[in-house]
Amino acid sequence: MESLSDTKWDVVISGTGLQHSLLALALSRSDKKILHVDHNEYYGGAEAAFSLQEVDEWHPDSSTGTFQNVTLWKDDADTSSQSNKLSFSRAYTLTLSPQIIYTKSKLLGQLVSSKVYRQLEFQAVGNWWIYNGEGPPLLKRLPNGREDIFRDQGIDNRAKRSLMKFLKFVVDFENQPELWEADSECSLQDFLSSRFQLPPHLQSIITALTLSLDTPGRTIVKWALPRISRHLTSIGVFGPGFGAVIPKWGGGAEIAQVACRAGAVGGGVYVLGTGVTNAVDDRDKERWRIELSNGETVGTKHYIPHSGSANGSNSRMVSKTIAVVSSTLSSLFVNSTEGSPLAAVSVVVFPSGTLHLEEATQDCPVYVMVHSSETGECPAGQCVLYATTLYSATSKPILDAALSSLIKSTECSDARLLYTLYYDQQEDISSPCDLAFDDRILENVEEQWKEAMGSEGADGSSLFMQFEERRGINPDDDNDDDY
Amino acid sequence: MASHGIPRPATTAHRTEQQLQEEQLQIQEYRDLEDLIRTKIAERQYTLEVLQLTSKLLKKNPEYYTIWNDRRRLLIYGLFSESSDSSSSSKEPSSSSPTVTTSTSSEGVSSSAVSTAENLTTTLHDPPSRNRGKSGTILDLIKGELEFLFPIMIKFPKCYWLWNYRLWILQQANERLDPDIARDLWNRELILVGKMLVKDSRNFHGWGYRRMVVTQLESQELHGKSMVESEFEYTTKVIHGLNGLSNFSAWHRRSKLIPTLLDQRGADDATRQQFLEDEFDLIISAMYTDSYPYAQSAWFYYQFLMTTVTDYVGHATITPNWTQEDRVVFVTRQLAVLGDMLDGAEDCKWVYDALIEYTLALCQMEEREPLPDEKTDCQSWLMELRKLDHLRSGRWDDLEISLEKR
Repeated sequence: MESLSDTKWDVVISGTGLQHSLLALALSRSDKKILHVDHNEYYGGAEAAFSLQEVDEWHPDSSTGTFQNVTLWKDDADTSSQSNKLSFSRAYTLTLSPQIIYTKSKLLGQLVSSKVYRQLEFQAVGNWWIYNGEGPPLLKRLPNGREDIFRDQGIDNRAKRSLMKFLKFVVDFENQPELWEADSECSLQDFLSSRFQLPPHLQSIITALTLSLDTPGRTIVKWALPRISRHLTSIGVFGPGFGAVIPKWGGGAEIAQVACRAGAVGGGVYVLGTGVTNAVDDRDKERWRIELSNGETVGTKHYIPHSGSANGSNSRMVSKTIAVVSSTLSSLFVNSTEGSPLAAVSVVVFPSGTLHLEEATQDCPVYVMVHSSETGECPAGQCVLYATTLYSATSKPILDAALSSLIKSTECSDARLLYTLYYDQQEDISSPCDLAFDDRILENVEEQWKEAMGSEGADGSSLFMQFEERRGINPDDDNDDDY
Repeated sequence: MASHGIPRPATTAHRTEQQLQEEQLQIQEYRDLEDLIRTKIAERQYTLEVLQLTSKLLKKNPEYYTIWNDRRRLLIYGLFSESSDSSSSSKEPSSSSPTVTTSTSSEGVSSSAVSTAENLTTTLHDPPSRNRGKSGTILDLIKGELEFLFPIMIKFPKCYWLWNYRLWILQQANERLDPDIARDLWNRELILVGKMLVKDSRNFHGWGYRRMVVTQLESQELHGKSMVESEFEYTTKVIHGLNGLSNFSAWHRRSKLIPTLLDQRGADDATRQQFLEDEFDLIISAMYTDSYPYAQSAWFYYQFLMTTVTDYVGHATITPNWTQEDRVVFVTRQLAVLGDMLDGAEDCKWVYDALIEYTLALCQMEEREPLPDEKTDCQSWLMELRKLDHLRSGRWDDLEISLEKR
């Protein structure tokens, strides 16, 4: 059998996280020789998905690595009396990346034009809720447009009008720079209050739509407006009542798998459990010399390194908890729009200051993505909750408080926690954790693709992520001739 | 140009030589089909075969109403009668036996009609027990017609002839079938029209049709009872749905249901007053949830509600037992509400319009001339109206003149 060093590689990619997997997909129809390695024994990197056993075996390098302080808890109550208890390991697919994909994102179009969409099943993200510490009710629907605002009896008439004026502005904000550019570095809160006379509780609502992990004071106008606009204009694009989707069976992990599969079908070579230990740029020969952890050394024209974790001032930490709950939490999934599909994901926002703990103040918002069993991530009758907040010394108790408040507010008497996995994730400021897929990832991939493709990419003979159907590969093809 | 969001495709486009030739072929085919149908109908060949020929043509051109009439005739004097002919029926209200209409036809035709009837009877299993004819086959024919219509209606949702024919078929069901069976068909119509209104919630045919279906379902003949509560609820649902606030049809329907609704609820004066207040709250909330370029529908409904207070003699009223003083108090309150609404909506012409209208209405109700303050206000509002809606300057001129006269 040939050893890897026998081949003159065109591209060596280290890491099968989402971005690098998309690059493999983009290169899958070229005649470039691609070597794609990952030091993990699994695909997906920082966006991987695990069964329960795989979580048990997950020992990320806690001292310097991306993932730290991993803490696992399982419900050890006398489960024989309970009907709904933790099921077998493979009944669960817990993802490290529960990102939602807005319908306006370019990713979906590219998954279609690259023909891999058939291997993915997308589900609706509907039902956005905001937690109101004072209550009742503890959970309120986030208004997504004029109809929701009209229906909401908790908003008085003047506020309704101000909110409508803001909505009308934000969906077309690019064409009205005179109304916001002067304030682009201001906090969104101040902007909403001074320019649109929105009271604090409406500011919370608008801020919640940005999915900002920062405190309200640090969420700035320039960053927030496009996100709010994207949220509002995405609704209804693929059907009534929802504006975002996630892929079934593990979100980003599933896309990474499918993309790598496409890379392999295209001739790429995949080696798991093998990382890059050293990379030397040999300028004279226009080649890289890559040393692999299996002892081999390979040469390649282009090298795409692992998107490692940064340290120091370039980084920030995010805390996450994945939890399994013994209930369908059905009250969260009730649709309010006529004709809308059943959503598989509901989003619950805990604005800063709404959770009250003895030992801590909640300065940053907490987001909980609730995944029903329709996502394929857990057995029927249970849900997976993905809670995220910025790291602080007390982020774990804050996440715990969010989870228990959420469960209490759904008034599902049979709901209890069966399993929680807590961890902190270090990340580079330039590509921060985003609960919604950031299209800038696609821009990065395209740039890297152009570099690897050289002249072919530049002269238009190959188009980025635009492929023909492969003949005979798709088992659904009845008729090879009709394309 | 699109009408309330439904795009209208261009009907003429540039065509190549080949396309023109293909089109000529299609035109010829169509003309031949048309001739064939005309001939057969003239010969009174009221058969299944001819029915299918008409189907072919009508799918292409549902506006050809003569063919729809031919189809009606075909059913009444042909297929419907044959089905009932083989039963021991006595009640045939509108259909006549083939012999009457085909009295001038040749024997050949009657025999073909009879042979077709034989074909039909051989497939029947139900014994001729009902005195309303072979419900089995007539029902099949009627259902077949409804199914035939459906895809054409999706394609041509505004074609009058389709709606007319559909209603005619359902009337046939009323006349020829058991009331319970007919009722079932009408119930399905309600669901159907519900779906069509979700697709295009402002299709006026759809709303008109809904009214007719509901009237049928409420009728005594079909053992019905009043549906005013559920219909009122339906308008609430539509108004709160997508773009519901600007759905004139929904608001209009709502306004028409209110008098019957309140009567049926046996509402006393207090309940009626509460109802009025609630409706006003609803519409005012709708107006606040609007922004430039303001929707007119909400204002029409506001106008309707106000008229029940100011101009109720001979018109719909919600609070029939209010005294003159009650009305004056209410209108004065509304003027304050409108003034409030103006603050922040100085670009909304409807507010100024309403302020002037109801200030003058108030004067009329109190049978007095406008006070100097009121006159000044109206004049300044009128000035704003001129600025905001200069296309209607003629109207504002008139208004100015009538103001000055007082």
